[in-house]
Amino acid sequence: MEFLLQYSRFIIEGFITALTMTIIGVSGGAVLGITTALLDVYGGRVSKVLVGIYVEFFRGSPLIVQLLIFYFSIPAVTGLNWDAYTAGAVTLILNSGAYQKGYFKGAIEAVFKDQLMAAASIGLTFRQTLRYIVLPQALKIVIPAWTNELVSLGLSTSALIIIGVRELTSIAKTIAAQTFRPLEVYFTIAIIYFIWITIMLKIMDIVYRRVRIPGLEVSI
Amino acid sequence: MGEVVLEGRGIKKWYGKLQVLKGIDIKIEKGKTKVIIGPSGSGKSTLLRILGLLEPPTEGNVLFKGRDVYAEKLDLNKIRAKIGFVFQEPSLFRHLTALDNVKLGLRHVLKLSEDEARRKALETLRIVHLEGWKDHYPAQLSGGQQQRVGIARALAMDPEIILFDEPTASLDIELTWEVIDTMRELAERGITMLVVTHEISFAKEVADEIIFMDDGMILEEGPPEKVLMNPKSERARVFLRRLLGV
Repeated sequence: MEFLLQYSRFIIEGFITALTMTIIGVSGGAVLGITTALLDVYGGRVSKVLVGIYVEFFRGSPLIVQLLIFYFSIPAVTGLNWDAYTAGAVTLILNSGAYQKGYFKGAIEAVFKDQLMAAASIGLTFRQTLRYIVLPQALKIVIPAWTNELVSLGLSTSALIIIGVRELTSIAKTIAAQTFRPLEVYFTIAIIYFIWITIMLKIMDIVYRRVRIPGLEVSI
Repeated sequence: MGEVVLEGRGIKKWYGKLQVLKGIDIKIEKGKTKVIIGPSGSGKSTLLRILGLLEPPTEGNVLFKGRDVYAEKLDLNKIRAKIGFVFQEPSLFRHLTALDNVKLGLRHVLKLSEDEARRKALETLRIVHLEGWKDHYPAQLSGGQQQRVGIARALAMDPEIILFDEPTASLDIELTWEVIDTMRELAERGITMLVVTHEISFAKEVADEIIFMDDGMILEEGPPEKVLMNPKSERARVFLRRLLGV
């Protein structure tokens, strides 16, 4: 296995790329997910339909196909010239946002109507109700579901290989090809993914414990 | 006749084809406690929500201190802040402690400073005898305690009137008393109240006036002895006989 050490620099770079893409995708996706969830729950008919089309597209087609569309098809049609990293990041954000919309919608709807009426009864505006009542609860309720998305998107970054982003899987493929030792290389990479995911799960578990509120627990 | 705080004129309400309120006229005077009794489904809660500006009437007017809220297009949030509401189910904000539940409106609606809001919230929790529970979350309180925090949340805003929608309906007998006692204390402090309840003893001892509603209409109205002991309508007699078990 020592031969892998000489490639460690590339492996680390690949890992950092995968981690960065995950963070970009999941945080951009969170902003998008919260926005589309609010539009879906409180918006008018038009916004509900638009959100529906967006979500169906990204949840109803493979990530790899989405990556190909954003890296090859869209530039071909629009003349837009972006590199694989930008196209990949945008696709991950849109893809994750579609899934996170569902999680946030569920969490927003878990804040019961009686609390909304109570908020109105003390004179809070709609905006204040969202800010002080709905979102603080929804953001806590959503953590377990959101953790799943973090893990899922982290592993999905390996799909970026299809558009040539130098992430962990793509680095592994190159090393395997150069060394003719696919067995050791791919197993090592799989273990790196596993350790990474385990650490993320642990961190999210600590976060969840910290912000947990009696009576607001949800089982995953 | 004292100053009228809240008034409904010719209130009618339809839900689709179902008419729940069939023309209600009601006035609540400053410092008075008015109690509404009546069978379930008689429109009491709907009337209360309309008077609390939590839903609009289909027809009719709601007047707050003489001003027609909907006709004059007054800012609903501003007036809601002056009308306290205690719900049937304890509707506390579940992510906030008892203290923060009471404090929220003080901070963000009345715009008090953090210190003032805290002081006022603590003072109000003391009135409902829950100062020792200020750091508990709703799930850590009994149903009766939750309702009392709900009362404190309404009371802290210094409302002109507090509306109670069957605040003890979801509580056990023992817990009912602590909430009823708290309401009794508020009445003694001169808080203007409109209370929907099945607690006849509260109605009898605390109310200045009792209203009997059935089928979306007011059938009886007057001082407790008159409505409870000597109702004119047959429906009120039947209802009271069942409630009092005589």
